[in-house]
Amino acid sequence: MHPFTIPFMAGFTMMFIVLIIRYSNWFRGFSTENRKRIAGRMFTRRSIHALNEIFRESLLHLKIYKTNPILGYMHMSLAFGWFLLIVGGKLETWYYTGNFANPPQYAIFFRFFHPVTEATGIHRIIDFYMEFSLLVVLSGLTIAMVKRIRKQVAGMKNTTRHTLTNRLALTFLWFIFPLRLLAESATTSIHGGGSFLTGITSGLPFHPAVELPLWWAYSISLGVFFVCLPFSRYLHIPTEMITILLKKWGVEPELKLKTNKGLQAFEIHSCSGCGICLDACPAIGVGDKKFQSVYFINEMRNGKDHSKTAELCLSCGSCQQACPVGIQLEPLRISARENLNSEMRFNHTYLPSKMILWRETTDVILFTGCMGRMNPRTTQSMKKLFDEAGIGYVHADEDENICCGRPMVLTGASEQAELMMSRNRDIIHSYNAKVLVTTCPICYKQFKNSYKLNIPVVHHSMYINQLMEEGKLNRHHSNLNFSYHDPCELGRAFDCYEAPREVLKRAGHVVALSKEKEKSLCCGNNMGTILLERENRQQITDKTLMVLSENNPDYIVTSCPVCKNTLSQQSSIPVRDIAEVLTDLPEIKQKTGERLTAMRESHIN
Amino acid sequence: MSRISFGYSVSEGKVINLDQQKPAWLEKIFELEPSLHRCISCGNCAAVCTAGHFTGMKFYRICLNAFRGQTSDLKNDAKACMLCGKCQFACPRGVNIRHAIMLMTQIQKP
Ligand code: SF4
Ligand code: SF4
Ligand code: SF4
Ligand code: SF4
Repeated sequence: MHPFTIPFMAGFTMMFIVLIIRYSNWFRGFSTENRKRIAGRMFTRRSIHALNEIFRESLLHLKIYKTNPILGYMHMSLAFGWFLLIVGGKLETWYYTGNFANPPQYAIFFRFFHPVTEATGIHRIIDFYMEFSLLVVLSGLTIAMVKRIRKQVAGMKNTTRHTLTNRLALTFLWFIFPLRLLAESATTSIHGGGSFLTGITSGLPFHPAVELPLWWAYSISLGVFFVCLPFSRYLHIPTEMITILLKKWGVEPELKLKTNKGLQAFEIHSCSGCGICLDACPAIGVGDKKFQSVYFINEMRNGKDHSKTAELCLSCGSCQQACPVGIQLEPLRISARENLNSEMRFNHTYLPSKMILWRETTDVILFTGCMGRMNPRTTQSMKKLFDEAGIGYVHADEDENICCGRPMVLTGASEQAELMMSRNRDIIHSYNAKVLVTTCPICYKQFKNSYKLNIPVVHHSMYINQLMEEGKLNRHHSNLNFSYHDPCELGRAFDCYEAPREVLKRAGHVVALSKEKEKSLCCGNNMGTILLERENRQQITDKTLMVLSENNPDYIVTSCPVCKNTLSQQSSIPVRDIAEVLTDLPEIKQKTGERLTAMRESHIN
Repeated sequence: MSRISFGYSVSEGKVINLDQQKPAWLEKIFELEPSLHRCISCGNCAAVCTAGHFTGMKFYRICLNAFRGQTSDLKNDAKACMLCGKCQFACPRGVNIRHAIMLMTQIQKP
């Protein structure tokens, strides 16, 4: 082998060793259950699904492509183009040597060792394929360069900043492929061969003395890039693939967050720094401290203080929804808060325990939660609707209420929410009911995910929709225009977008918004934030109201007491809860004596 | 010269002693949550408080006492909070009450 291949081989070997050391450290942090999961599922269909996902997301980057086609093409052409080159190189050398297991540097610098001159069919095809792949990579690279210089070109409003190793890796990554093209062109211009691409570039006046230095430069930039890779954000390339495998094998996050342990370590290092989470964040540009997920992950990765980035965030879930790598950002933040607030001590032993002497039987338990107490109109509307539909109910927290515990979970004190939860559970279990209806999405999430109740839980928007479908509630279609605000804890958390819209469509028109459903903005007062100042929260509310006021609706409707309170304080358009819409608006009239079919028809018309 | 006794005295709690330094941990809480300085003791927070319904906990009291350097009950009172956030909706001054309480439950000494 020629000495110019040494920089590449040295860099590649070093990267390999460092990666193995780092990964085995993280693997050591896996709990016994997680190890069992890996061992049991490694040779099942799950691995094939994972390979499929790796192909779609790590090479083709389909999710980024869906969010932003230019950015997607950039990632795809770099990753998939490079992949095509590697596969092509392997096949090419296999074809020429008859030996599949030839060393990697032989494939990478193949043109130098074997400047093909025969112009027969198969050689032409191979040459064309290799140069086409190179062109794909170069086109992606051009977008990347333009994006760095003028970030708006790729449609990204916000781009991430870079540390030193990142810059070094980035610079050499940029050099690799242009140098490969130059080196191959020089060889072609001297020895002949080549395909359409080098056919053009070999026309440049290459002096025979520059050929070898160009191959050296190509080898060195590859070597430096590989040395930097495990210490730069490009570590995400191999890590992302392993994370996908681990998730398909059902590996769970470790109980306590450590940035160099278990699944969390893999997740944190899978972030490509693509910055898609920046554009998704409703709080972008708000306040002095940038706390979006990419910054949070970067701080954790570099072992820096991440208290602010962890505690400013509203937990709206927007970035997690948008993240093309599928990093579970909210659980990561909550675990980080658990570490930060581990000294926090609450004491709720004062809560009275419930004595059950007799279990009242009813259809529905209504739970309105803390915030419901500040919205008595919603509660009254719900009761009117129950009466209208002939549903029996008890209001479990009418006289006194105990918090569902979710706000506490969000601050990282999930264990200390247990007592509150068990008192609430006792209250709920003290009735014989068919279903628990809650008017608060925060309570809904907590009941649904953490309470293990003996009856199903539904949110009131779902319940109203169900009653309407059954024909137990019906309304004349009015001329009112509604714009519907998706609460974070109902929409993104449960994909519940249609039920409230169905209800509103029966009573009026639902206007389309530029950002709705999974892209909807946070009202600004999500319980998730601990540190965000009121002024900043109000700024977010203003931005959200701008979207909700598009098309001048008659009412802004939501189905969360927090959203309703927050929006109504700053809105010039009246804000109502979905239950109030059906009972309190004079324009909306009850249909009397009509059955479901008639109502459906009017809805279709 | 001895003082004339009128048969009553000024109780400790009603004296504002500007010489008295706030303990360092209290200074720290005010530093980490500066919005506490905005509290005007209006009492809205206590009126809506979920925990206050069951206990005597009143955030405006905690805050007022902290300003006066009376801190003996501070941590215990704060511990009753459920972090439900109603107080922050009611507060006219935008005090980050939940964060203040989270800090108070973490203090080591009292
Ligand atoms: S967290 Fe996800 S969306 Fe944000 S930069 Fe990382 S990979 Fe991209
Ligand atoms: S959860 Fe919401 S507020 Fe927090 S960083 Fe993500 S998008 Fe921004
Ligand atoms: S509501 Fe706000 S301003 Fe009023 S006493 Fe409570 S914290 Fe102070
Ligand atoms: S967050 Fe704490 S202090 Fe505020 S209303 Fe709820 S229980 Fe009371």
